[in-house]
Amino acid sequence: MDDILAILSSSSMSFLIRQTLLFAVPLMIVALAGVFSERSGVINLALEGIMIFGAFVGVLFVYYNESIPFLQEAYTGLKTLSAIKVDARDAAFTSQLTEYLLSTQGFSLVAMLVTALCCAAFSMLLAFAAIHLRADQTIVGTALNLLAPALVLFFVRLLANQNTLNIAGESSSWFMLKESYFGFGVKLTRTTKTASMGFFGQAFVNQVYPMTYVCILLFVVMSIFLYKTRFGLRLRACGENPQAADSLGINVYRMRYAGVGISGALAGIGGFLYATTTMSCSSNGDVAGFGFLALAVMIFGNWKPGSIVWASLLFGLMKCISATYTRLDFNTDGIYELAELGISKYIYKILPYVITLLVLAFTSKRSRAPKAEGIPYDKSVR
Amino acid sequence: MKKFLAMLLALTMLLGCVAFAESSGDSAGDSAGDSAGDSAGASTGAPAINPDDIPDTVTSADGKYEIAFVTDVGQLKDKSFNQGTWNGVKSYAAANGLTYKYYQPANGNEATDDDRYDAMKAAAEGGAKVVVAAGFMQGNALSKAAAEFPTVNFVFIDGWPLSDAEGNLLTNVAAISFQEEQAGYLAGYAVVRDGFTKLGFSGGGGGTNAACDRYGYGFAQGANAAAAELGIQVELNYSWQYGASFSASAELQTMIAGWYQTGTEIVFACGGSMFQSIAAAAAAADAYVVGVDVDQSYESETVVTSALKGIAEAAQLSIASNYDGTWAENYGGKLTVLGAVQNAVGLPTDTWSMEVFTVEEYNALLAAMQSGELVVDATDYQGDAITTVEFSNLKIIYE
Repeated sequence: MDDILAILSSSSMSFLIRQTLLFAVPLMIVALAGVFSERSGVINLALEGIMIFGAFVGVLFVYYNESIPFLQEAYTGLKTLSAIKVDARDAAFTSQLTEYLLSTQGFSLVAMLVTALCCAAFSMLLAFAAIHLRADQTIVGTALNLLAPALVLFFVRLLANQNTLNIAGESSSWFMLKESYFGFGVKLTRTTKTASMGFFGQAFVNQVYPMTYVCILLFVVMSIFLYKTRFGLRLRACGENPQAADSLGINVYRMRYAGVGISGALAGIGGFLYATTTMSCSSNGDVAGFGFLALAVMIFGNWKPGSIVWASLLFGLMKCISATYTRLDFNTDGIYELAELGISKYIYKILPYVITLLVLAFTSKRSRAPKAEGIPYDKSVR
Repeated sequence: MKKFLAMLLALTMLLGCVAFAESSGDSAGDSAGDSAGDSAGASTGAPAINPDDIPDTVTSADGKYEIAFVTDVGQLKDKSFNQGTWNGVKSYAAANGLTYKYYQPANGNEATDDDRYDAMKAAAEGGAKVVVAAGFMQGNALSKAAAEFPTVNFVFIDGWPLSDAEGNLLTNVAAISFQEEQAGYLAGYAVVRDGFTKLGFSGGGGGTNAACDRYGYGFAQGANAAAAELGIQVELNYSWQYGASFSASAELQTMIAGWYQTGTEIVFACGGSMFQSIAAAAAAADAYVVGVDVDQSYESETVVTSALKGIAEAAQLSIASNYDGTWAENYGGKLTVLGAVQNAVGLPTDTWSMEVFTVEEYNALLAAMQSGELVVDATDYQGDAITTVEFSNLKIIYE
């Protein structure tokens, strides 16, 4: 029993939790984006495209605004503050720290908001074609998936004269919380630090992005919104039996526009989150297929938020293990267990995808898509 | 109504394009900011203009561009190998009032020999008199292009003398290579002398890029030598994973975060844009990075020092020889190896943040290298071959 506890509270475990969240949360929020669209009756294959666009818009916003004086002051200020010795920290320190953190975190929230708005607008391309023009939704989605990376690369090349739009070497840590802000793990020399936070702090406070938590909160709120409000019920009705919904006076077109718009906003936020937390705030017209993975997660999550959480955590964990298995030491004996197994690194690298495929194969029988998804609504047809 | 909406949509997109295009003009300049331009101590009489102030694209009146640059895999502005070479090309061209243009082979990191050849052909047909091609992967394409365009001179950075299909030496190709092992040695020695004991090496090219192989092996040798002097044992994580295309990736960032999490103190980021991922992981963990090819301390405060090679200077010198008539004598068909003796490798002592290791000690080490007293083994250990090497005071942890 003690052994298990020791393993569960090892630093490898807290590291794994922290890194898993980085991969899982973007997946989660984008899968929920898919749910909103599909539950309203519109297949959203364009999740990948919208994520790419969202990553671009968000990074572009940071790129243009990072030189605003108060932000620069906050960035450098945080760096200075984190180096101050623990016993020299007083009330002035706390108020300064709070101010700086509010600046940077507030900025990241604004960037998320801008991204959400732009991506909601971008998803209107899908909505307009799918709802108004009654085009084939699969094809429109595919078209957007082709359009987004091309468009983004075009603008990135125009702006930065290269294939990646990036901010600076360590820009992503601007949005990050560090234990040194709270008096732990403060640098003494270059290679020594004071005691670090315990298990909980390491897993959920140190080196995490509050943006991740904002997205988790958003996930919860939007899930409740979908299931517990009148609007959510109507939206879901439009995806199951739009004729019936229409007969009760619900404007199916408007609901579907709303569904796709919310979907676009959430997927865009997911794209920006992915770019910031795992790609050091850069945009290159690529999110490594996370949008498609989110589709898979949505399907084996059976279009239900609860199952989506588990599916994305599973994938995130596997992804994280595949990149770091050589550095996981669960019983803290100095031996990296998974590396000792001698399994080829390629096995670890394909593991997340193989598991996704397997789970999908075994669960797809049970899964039930919204009945009316993919069918353009036509008032005149009964 | 439908038509009106469609028109509106088209108009918005068009306006968006224009707005972006307009804003791009000024931002391209300041985006690069104050990035690395000056390399090793080589004095070439280059003008003291910051290469970042020279535009990347010029418009020539007759549509011809006299000096061309064909990039290696990775991006032009990788803040490392490509950008360093390009800075040399630009600086020479701008200082001498010549037109210049860069060509990126099609298909990005998956570019084939044909893609590279097409880029060179485009350059030659676009009026180039000198084409600088960066990276050893350009070899096959270069021998084809150089045979086809005998009046154009080609500079093959990180390369070797080439022959045409019949086996005749191509005298219009100048091969330039560097003793990366010396630069790596200096960096490895310096960081261990400066108190780091848990090191990392994350290299590009998947273990098949000779330049990166030599950097890595040199780094290990230098670290080992310093550890032996100090009488300590040091560890070196050694990996080619996620570096095959020299690009930044979420996986690389996660892997390096794992290294720092388990005690690694400093990682040698040996490859173009990989730096971005490694520096991000280092910044998160309050740890350190060694840069590569050019002085990368401007990119991130995590950079303690950088292993430099004088690519910008080499590009300038070889281009200059094309114009002062010394091409055939000094460069054409020859391999020029640049190392410590030519002052073409080293560390940036002005910008490094060493705490214990002094500039005097560094200069003494460099002098030993220059006099031949200190010889760094230049064996090209590909992939995991490094694990076969015995080090007295260094333990290699290969992944």
